[in-house]
Formats: sequence, structure tokens, C-alpha cells
Amino acid sequence: MISKHELERLSEFVWQVPRTYRDDMRAPARMYADEELLDDALEDKSVEQLINTTTLPGIVKYAIAMPDIHQGYGAPVGGVFATAASDGVISPGAVGYDINCGVRVLASRVNADELRPHLSNLATTLYRNCPSGVGVSGSIKLRGDDMENILNRGADWTLERGYAQMEDLPRTEEYGRIPYADASKVSQKAQERGHDQLGTLGAGNHFIEVDRIAALYDDEAARVLNLFENQVVVQIHCGSRGLGHQVCQDFVDRFQRVVKTYDIVLPDRELVAAPYASPEGQDYVGAMGAAANFAFANRQVLAFHIRRSFAQVLTGHVTDFDLHPVYDIAHNMAKLEDHEIQGETTRVVVHRKGATRAFGPQSPVLPKDLKAIGQPVLIPGSMGTMSFILCGTAGSMAQTFGSSCHGAGRVWSRHRAKKEVRGEKLRAEMNERGIEVRAGSISGLAEEAPQAYKDVSRVVRVVDAAGIGKLVARLEPLAVIKG
Amino acid sequence: MDRYQELDHTADWSFRAFGRDLAELFANAAYALFALEGALDAQSTLTREIRAEGIDREALLVNWLSELLFLQETRYETYQRFDITKLTDTELEATVWGAQAQPATKFIKAVTYHDLKIEQTEKGWQATVVVDV
Repeated sequence: MISKHELERLSEFVWQVPRTYRDDMRAPARMYADEELLDDALEDKSVEQLINTTTLPGIVKYAIAMPDIHQGYGAPVGGVFATAASDGVISPGAVGYDINCGVRVLASRVNADELRPHLSNLATTLYRNCPSGVGVSGSIKLRGDDMENILNRGADWTLERGYAQMEDLPRTEEYGRIPYADASKVSQKAQERGHDQLGTLGAGNHFIEVDRIAALYDDEAARVLNLFENQVVVQIHCGSRGLGHQVCQDFVDRFQRVVKTYDIVLPDRELVAAPYASPEGQDYVGAMGAAANFAFANRQVLAFHIRRSFAQVLTGHVTDFDLHPVYDIAHNMAKLEDHEIQGETTRVVVHRKGATRAFGPQSPVLPKDLKAIGQPVLIPGSMGTMSFILCGTAGSMAQTFGSSCHGAGRVWSRHRAKKEVRGEKLRAEMNERGIEVRAGSISGLAEEAPQAYKDVSRVVRVVDAAGIGKLVARLEPLAVIKG
Repeated sequence: MDRYQELDHTADWSFRAFGRDLAELFANAAYALFALEGALDAQSTLTREIRAEGIDREALLVNWLSELLFLQETRYETYQRFDITKLTDTELEATVWGAQAQPATKFIKAVTYHDLKIEQTEKGWQATVVVDV
């Protein structure tokens, strides 16, 4: 395993593994971290996994680890790298199984004190209206060509069916519709897995959280995003469910053969890849886009259930509880983007796994009102602690292919968390702090204990100080809803 | 001989399964999957016939376990007994026993190729598997 003295320190928060560290590296690897976060990252296989991504054909500049990096499979969680679209590869395992796992934030105009008397009722209603757990049927029965439409058109389908409001779409990455999505590239098996799952939360680290804005750091961004102190907001964290998992599984399996066809040699079979421009590569791009659309639609339908829950509980008691969209971001995707490399605009495939897009101000893909502040970046912290809203910067465009971190990042295994934390005690502690908890699994709660994660405030401090994101708001939890 | 042991992994789950021969190894890897999920059911009330293929032994193991996850998720079932009736390096046939299940609150999203190893040991065979949860 690599040790600290083998790294070059490029600045206070940027460390580099030189290309000479391993013979098979095609580019250096950079890590954004302070000393403590770096020590965490060096304890498991995160850095080795990051270095493995630098062996992918066509990689440009350097691979990047965000400060929340932790060990995954194939690429690490919190890893970003880009390959040349002309002669580079695309790797499904470096995107991950939960394609377009992401976060959406909705904001009300209610303050937390007004909500407090209704909080317990709201938590129960959210838990009831937003199906969680595995294999739980969604509230929506898909018929006829619904699935094909969702896969090809994402949020547009939800708007037609009344699950979205017009204002939701511009506040969703890609407007909630990946244009190159191709339902015909999604296997029957994947479609079957997703059939009953639209509008469901799933299990693991996925959640819905009711929060209050505890602090604002940027007046201009707060004004554009309509955020104010003590405001009630809601976070949704989930992805493409079994459909996305199966798409990834299908292509990781298929690409085991494809690497032989294209003579691609890799240090980890999970990283199998195909040339981006090849028919096999393009099949994955179409299927990944379709799975991403399913995830956008999934978070949109959950947002619909959350709005319904707010109306059920608060009508007649509180005014202005309508939830308006702040933003919706993906954190497991590969995307075709233009970035400046050695002074030239180059088309690259940016792989982000457990990392978010964080485009800076004036980016042409942002809606007009967000151009002044940059793309919102939504960073959920560990359960019961705090979360953050940031914005992308010119620095993220210059340094990290317009990318930023995605969360706190694990430090303990689930095994260790279960051994050291009792779910019941954790729930009691959160209750004592005034946080309502509704969870399907108590041991699942223990696995997500805050002790199992890095300190998210440390992670965002590094992001902010390194200039790859700009702090806007801190959120504190009022209610946690989990599978 | 233990059927499996859980290994430490920061974000996901990892286990090592054991078997006196390859068929037992494949059966015990499947058992480990459902044991980790806490989804073993005492009463078997249904059986399913399963086929899987892969380009080599490791790919076959991934595809066999993935097929079980697919059936678990789409049929709302859980499995606890696994009879491998045919096994080559690239093909597998099995009969599995299980039951209808309540929706699970914990589950495995996928079986990965990361650090995947099938090795011969003094006592038989062992397989190391990392799964995404």
C-alpha cells in the first residue's frame, strides 16, 4: 500500500501520486484532502483503486480523489477521471451499480419553529407515502409503453403524468432527461427489476430527510436559491434502483469479453471498459442514460409523494408549505463534456463515482437564473449530523473537470458499525436531540451511524478552501426516513 | 468447515466462501449472500431451476449469484438451499429451495468482480467476493 512520503504535496490540500509510482499508470493521481482525511484514505484500498483508474486507455490530465474518498470496487467512491472521447474508454464499473444515484433538495417557505408541532406526524406520513426497503412496490403501476417512455424521456414523462411541476425540470441536472438515453439498450431483465420500483427509496444509505437551514454563507446564492435561515427543506437521496444495478451488471459481464476484443489490459476486472466510440461503448452509453432517466423520474415521483405528505399534514395548520426545487444532482455518472486541457477545448468522458458535477458560474448548460452563482452542489452528511449546499466554481472547472465531493465518506465497515453501535441507542440519541426517526431496519440504522463516516464539515472545508466548491448553506436534520 | 466468513470492507460487504469441491463452494457462496442479508428462511416452500453462464469460473460465480439476486428482487423470494446439478468452468445448473419473503430492508445491489478470487486450498476451495450494498 502507498504511504504518505511517496506523495508529492502540490498545495495545502492537493497531493499527487506521480505517474512513476507504478509502471502501468498512464497519468498521475491527485487527492484533495487535509492531513487527517489523507490519513483516512491511506488506511484502506481507496488510493490503490484510484491509481488503477489511471491505467484506463485515453485518460487525460490526472485522476482525482475527492476528500470524501473511500474504498469501493473498481473505481473508489469519491473518484473522478476523464478519458478522451476520440480514443479513450468508458467503464461501467467506474460509474457504479447505482447509476445516477443522486440528491434532490426541495425548500418550503415554512420555518422550523412553525413545523415543530407537526413534525412527528409529518415523519410518519412521509414514511408511509414513500415506500422504502427492497422489493417494495411503488405506488405507481406502469402500463404499456410507460417504461420505455421513462427510460427515454425521464423527467418529461413525470411532467406529463402530473408528478412534476414545470419549475422542477430546470432545477434538475440535464433537465432530468439525458438526451442520448436509449431504452432499447436496457435488457428485459433490467426493466423487469425496475418495473415495480418507480417512486421507491430502496435501502442501504438511501434516505429522505427533513432539515432546517442552520447557517447561510453566501447571500447572493441564498437569494437566487430562495434560501433563508431556519427554513424547512427536504433532501432525497436515492438512485435508479434494481434497474440501474442490472444495467451495470449486464455491461460489466459483457465487457469481460469486450476487453479481449480491444486488447485492453487492466489491473481489476471490475474496471472493464470499451472504447467510448465503439458500438459496445455506445450501447452502454445509451443504457446508462436510460437508467439515469429512470433515477431522475424516481426522485421526481418521490418528490411528488413528499409534496403530498406536506399537504396532508400541514394544510389548515401552516401556510406556504409548498416545496419548490433547489436542485437535483447525479453522483454516479459518466458524461460527455468539453473541458480545457492544455489550453485546448477537448471533448472528454468524465466519470464521476460518488462525486458530483459542480459547474461554475456562466456554464452554458445551466438555466439562466443559476448562471450567476454556478451549479448547486448538494452534500448530504452522515445520518443525524449535518449536510451542506455548495455551488460550483471557476476553480472546479479548472482543476477537477467541474466536479466536487458527494458526502461524508465512510471510514468504518458496516460490519464494524454493527458491532460497535446499537441501532436502538442511536435512535434514542437522535430522539433526544429532537430528531424524528422512521426506519424499517434497526441494524441498517446502526450501519449508517455517524461514527462510521468522516466528518462532513471537514470534507466541505477542504472543498471550499481548495476552491472546487463554494459554501452556501448548512442544513441540520429534523426528521430522518430510511428503509 | 465453515460455509463462509465475512471480511471487512469500508463501504460494501465482502465474504470468503469455502467448499470441499467447486460445487459446494458455489452453493456456499450463494448461502453467504442470503445469510449476510439476514434473509434465510427456516421453511422451504418452493424450488426454482437456475442456469448461469460465464466466460470463466470467476464470471460464472458472479453470474450465478447475480441470477439469485435478480430472482429475489423480482419474485419477492429468498433462498436457503442450493443444489448444484451441473458445473463446468463456464456453465452451471442448479435447483434452489426457498420461500416467499417479506420485503427485505437490507439487500445486496450487485456482485462485483473486484478482488474476486477462486483458489484451491489444502482443504478444498475458497472464493473471495465483494458485493455492492
